[in-house]
Amino acid sequence: MEKNSMEEFQQSTVARKNVIEFRPPLYKQRYFFVKDIVNQYKPKKVADLGCGNATLLCMLKFHSCVQELVGVDLLMDRLLDWNSDRLSPSVGDHLGPRDLDLSIVLYRGSAVEKDSRLLGFDLITCIELIEHLDSEDLAKFPEVVFGYFSPGMVVISTPNSDFNPLFPASTFRNSDHKFEWNQKQFQHWASNVAKLYNYTVEFTGVGAPPPWAKHVGYCTQIGIFKKKQPEPGSWIVAKPTGSSDSQPEEHTYQVFGISICLQVFTASFPSLQQKHFLLFVLCTEVLKEVEAIRQKYVWILKRKESNEPESEEDIDRSLVRRPGLFLTDAQVAQIEKSPKPYSVGKRFYVPLKRLIGYPKVNRLVGDVSTLRTLLAEGIPTRLNRAHTSVLIDLDPYDYPRDYYS
Amino acid sequence: MSLKGKRGLGAIFQDQVVNTRQYLEHVKDSTTGTQGRVVKIFTNHFRVISRPELITYKYNIDYMPEIEDGKVRTDLLCQHKQTIGECHIFDGNSLLLPHRLQKQKTELVSRWGTKIVKVTIEFCSELKPTSVDCLRYYNILFRKILKMMDLKQVGRNYYNENEAMEFLNHKLVIWPGYITSILEYETSITLCADVNHKLLRMQTAYDLIMHVDSKSQRKDIKDITKELVGSIVFTKYNNRTYRVDAINWEETPRSTFKKSGGEEITFVDYYKEQHGLVVTDLTQPLLVSKGKWKKSQQDTPHEPIMLVPELCYLTGLTDEMRKDYRVMRDLAMHTRLDPEKRQHELQRFINIVQRHKTAQRELQLWDLKFDSDFLSFSGRIMKEVRILQGSRAFNSHPQFADWSKETRSGPLLNVKSLDYWLVLYPRRNYGAACSLLQSLRKVTPTMGIAMREAKMLEVNDTVQSYITVLETYVSSKTQMVLCVLSSDRKDLYDGIKKYLCVNCPIPSQCVVARTLDKPQTLMTIATKIAQQMNCKMGGALWKVETGLRNAMFIGIDCFHDIVNRRKSIAGFVSSVNQELTQWFSQCVFQEAGQELVNGLRACLEAALKLWYKHNLFLPQSIIVYRDGVGDGQLQALIEHEVPQIRSSLKSVYGDEVRLTVVVVKKRINTRFFAEYHGRLQNPLPGTVIDVGVTKRQWYDFFIVSQSVKDGTVTPTHYNVIHDTVHFTPDGIQCLTYRLCHMYYNLSGVIRVPAPCHYAHKLAYLVGQSIHQEPHYSLASRLFYL
Repeated sequence: MEKNSMEEFQQSTVARKNVIEFRPPLYKQRYFFVKDIVNQYKPKKVADLGCGNATLLCMLKFHSCVQELVGVDLLMDRLLDWNSDRLSPSVGDHLGPRDLDLSIVLYRGSAVEKDSRLLGFDLITCIELIEHLDSEDLAKFPEVVFGYFSPGMVVISTPNSDFNPLFPASTFRNSDHKFEWNQKQFQHWASNVAKLYNYTVEFTGVGAPPPWAKHVGYCTQIGIFKKKQPEPGSWIVAKPTGSSDSQPEEHTYQVFGISICLQVFTASFPSLQQKHFLLFVLCTEVLKEVEAIRQKYVWILKRKESNEPESEEDIDRSLVRRPGLFLTDAQVAQIEKSPKPYSVGKRFYVPLKRLIGYPKVNRLVGDVSTLRTLLAEGIPTRLNRAHTSVLIDLDPYDYPRDYYS
Repeated sequence: MSLKGKRGLGAIFQDQVVNTRQYLEHVKDSTTGTQGRVVKIFTNHFRVISRPELITYKYNIDYMPEIEDGKVRTDLLCQHKQTIGECHIFDGNSLLLPHRLQKQKTELVSRWGTKIVKVTIEFCSELKPTSVDCLRYYNILFRKILKMMDLKQVGRNYYNENEAMEFLNHKLVIWPGYITSILEYETSITLCADVNHKLLRMQTAYDLIMHVDSKSQRKDIKDITKELVGSIVFTKYNNRTYRVDAINWEETPRSTFKKSGGEEITFVDYYKEQHGLVVTDLTQPLLVSKGKWKKSQQDTPHEPIMLVPELCYLTGLTDEMRKDYRVMRDLAMHTRLDPEKRQHELQRFINIVQRHKTAQRELQLWDLKFDSDFLSFSGRIMKEVRILQGSRAFNSHPQFADWSKETRSGPLLNVKSLDYWLVLYPRRNYGAACSLLQSLRKVTPTMGIAMREAKMLEVNDTVQSYITVLETYVSSKTQMVLCVLSSDRKDLYDGIKKYLCVNCPIPSQCVVARTLDKPQTLMTIATKIAQQMNCKMGGALWKVETGLRNAMFIGIDCFHDIVNRRKSIAGFVSSVNQELTQWFSQCVFQEAGQELVNGLRACLEAALKLWYKHNLFLPQSIIVYRDGVGDGQLQALIEHEVPQIRSSLKSVYGDEVRLTVVVVKKRINTRFFAEYHGRLQNPLPGTVIDVGVTKRQWYDFFIVSQSVKDGTVTPTHYNVIHDTVHFTPDGIQCLTYRLCHMYYNLSGVIRVPAPCHYAHKLAYLVGQSIHQEPHYSLASRLFYL
């Protein structure tokens, strides 16, 4: 569940009385808390149970480490009406592909049903979810999430009822809440769950209490559960993350014969792991680099013509450096050592061995032979016959045109 | 509120409700002509074969507090699906339902982030299923369907990412997509669909800023500003486009801004935190965008948006790319679809729509069905037009609409001899200048042009040098200045043209030396240059019989300087003589973005005065071709511009004079195809269409006047909004087509009547290059050709 209306409502009314006000709003703080966790632990596969309108997923899709994002919620139709393009790759994702693949899948279904598609995750988040579960579902929850899904890490957030007296109305923060635990209750439940399923748990929260009521704790309490790593030599074998074949397939709809967890949305993002996009980005970067080098080269040629005395070394150096290109001394040295760009007639050549030294190219392919193979496929007409250099016109403006007026 | 105005009836729909035909008694029964050879025509419209037959209900939606974001507005409303039902169309402001809600006014509560928003649904009106307002909702529905079909919205249109074409050599990507509109025409409601391409560049604004000029080593701020300001950039993280209005060199990505919550954050941190994007150069300047430029919003102040160049992709073609034939060739190959390919693509599109399950379900809710074949009807091919050139007469080529061979093989209609003229050339282009002169000597005798030796003058490659030389050598006798330019640098061209149009008014001709390089095309180019110089000096190439005596023709077009948001320029060109070989050119400067010509009266009076001087009587009728009218401006044209013309005329004549005003529209999505030998092809030049996709409330028609070598020809739409000359449909169609034969920069038929194109050329030259009113002494010459 994404946020508690009562909590937010009270904040907005209470704020005027200058009692409690969270900045940024509490729901955002919860999301940023998860983002921090993701930054810190770099999980590959993340699932958000009770993903609501998928705001958290939208925020997490920008994290480069995440390669699989899954959202599960009982109510999904509303989201898809207008939100789906926030989760789909946009034009920008095509122009500047991610480094690693990313797929986003949304399921409509319950968080307390065993579904093998949620196995093998690095992080599962349940933000403001458990307080919406009735006692039956709450009882099932630990076995499904910790016992069955058994991810590397679980983050659970829930309202802290110790904080409630600070709000003027002393009811639940949302009418759908089945319970609101105080710190002791939550920590008791969480510690038991952690113990049972071999996790460690630590407690924190967002929405710090005002200085005069420190004892009430955070407005939202959060438990961070980490699966215990097997001791060296221990008999417990940890499930490798990212693979689910060790477990029997158990889609919920197979179990019950009806479709409960229904895949309602899926998107796959362009990335440099896909050859097509790698080729595209590589050719672009190579041509940009070659054009920039050419410009420097032509400028130096002109300086030479105008007989300004300069040492060869200076020329070499000025050929490498240019504004906007950030190189370490080691990189500069490497480029200077490599074969130099040259021109023959109206053509300008940059050896591949030199290009590979430029960080923007090097980032994409590590060695000359891969570079050669890819360029031969992408821009064959821009390679010399021996496939050792990229060639372009020395004077870019030298082409026939129709122009008279 | 500005918001309400924006979300009112869209520009295109505003024009739909303007009924101009009601005042045109003589075409009350029919706006259809009969002359010419009948031919079967297909068009890229699909007929709507089923639509709601019953009344629908429009509700206004209000939000408390006010919400600006359209997506959020939709979400807040859609939280109440149980109230409004599955079947609804929401345009962000109002809601269309097939049924009545129980209450006149329903108040609901939605949640949005931290806020609780009150949504009020209030009954507005009942809509007839064919009303324009209703059609507008169908268009919104169709856009929703395009989205369902996994097409991505970029700007206004929808594109298919899966069929993106990458041009690795040029760092370009093209996304194919579609433009669609559902509108009502004479006999049916149709879905007009056309193929459209979005061009994306793999270059960021940062690349451009860092792109060091090989000439000067460091580009100065002025050059970068010139290249960037006015361009549209695309930010990858939020899929939005912005217009660059300025570059802020004081700020860097390390600068801070206030987030919506009020905290200060640097741009670097913001992009890292929000979008996981790393800004590498912390010293780059920031781009400033003032947001969307809308006339209605000009007065409302809004915070400019700051953008980091590294994260902004450039869009559209640069002039440089436009001039690179390799880029243009590769692009043309993929984007210029010939009739067969276009039909194939559109057929595929409609088939996908018909087979798409979710799309069909949505359409069925409204009982909307489309025909799966192109709409077809008959058009007519008008008779070829006779070109008269002195004692010779010939027809325009029926297929290529061209007579360049005929024109150059005999004397021109009215020849001006070149007695005193100058040729300016930079030293290194001496050879080019000589070979041009040599070729001119060869081609001019046949055309009847007497040419004396020119004074050859060497210049340096700077504007100042050209001007200094001109200051020294130009005399009162000088008839023409021919400048050979070393390159097509805009500043050079602009500088020379400005000097010779404003300070020292002499007809001039510029030639880029490189165009003279190829010996095989040199003669053709020399011929064209000779013809152009002849026209610029007041000569004439040929004439066409219009069949209308004692009429003055006027062409009006506007140039909007969207880049610098400078004043707009309206070109006003009027005929001087009966043969229509001489034209009088004036221009009016108006405030940015303003479309309607306010200085019409002065132009019109001066035009009549000159006509009178030449003919010794006033014209009996005035025919105005008005180009450059934007969508949604038709009403304003009828309310302001036409009355202004009429009252100006009345003040000169003392009485009403016969006047016809035709609105010319070049940018349309309707295409026509004719079937020849079992294949769809472009209709022959001279094909006129006045049924099927014309409107009941207008006196309008389409003409395909030009011929294109490749791709699909774009027809021109003509809308007669005022006509006291009482033209028959055949009369105005034929006259219009004939006028397309009178443009002296091309010995062929052009897309619009010549006066329109002259007005365009004039406005363009003034707007792009000289930015000032040209000297009066040039006004009766075609100096801008």
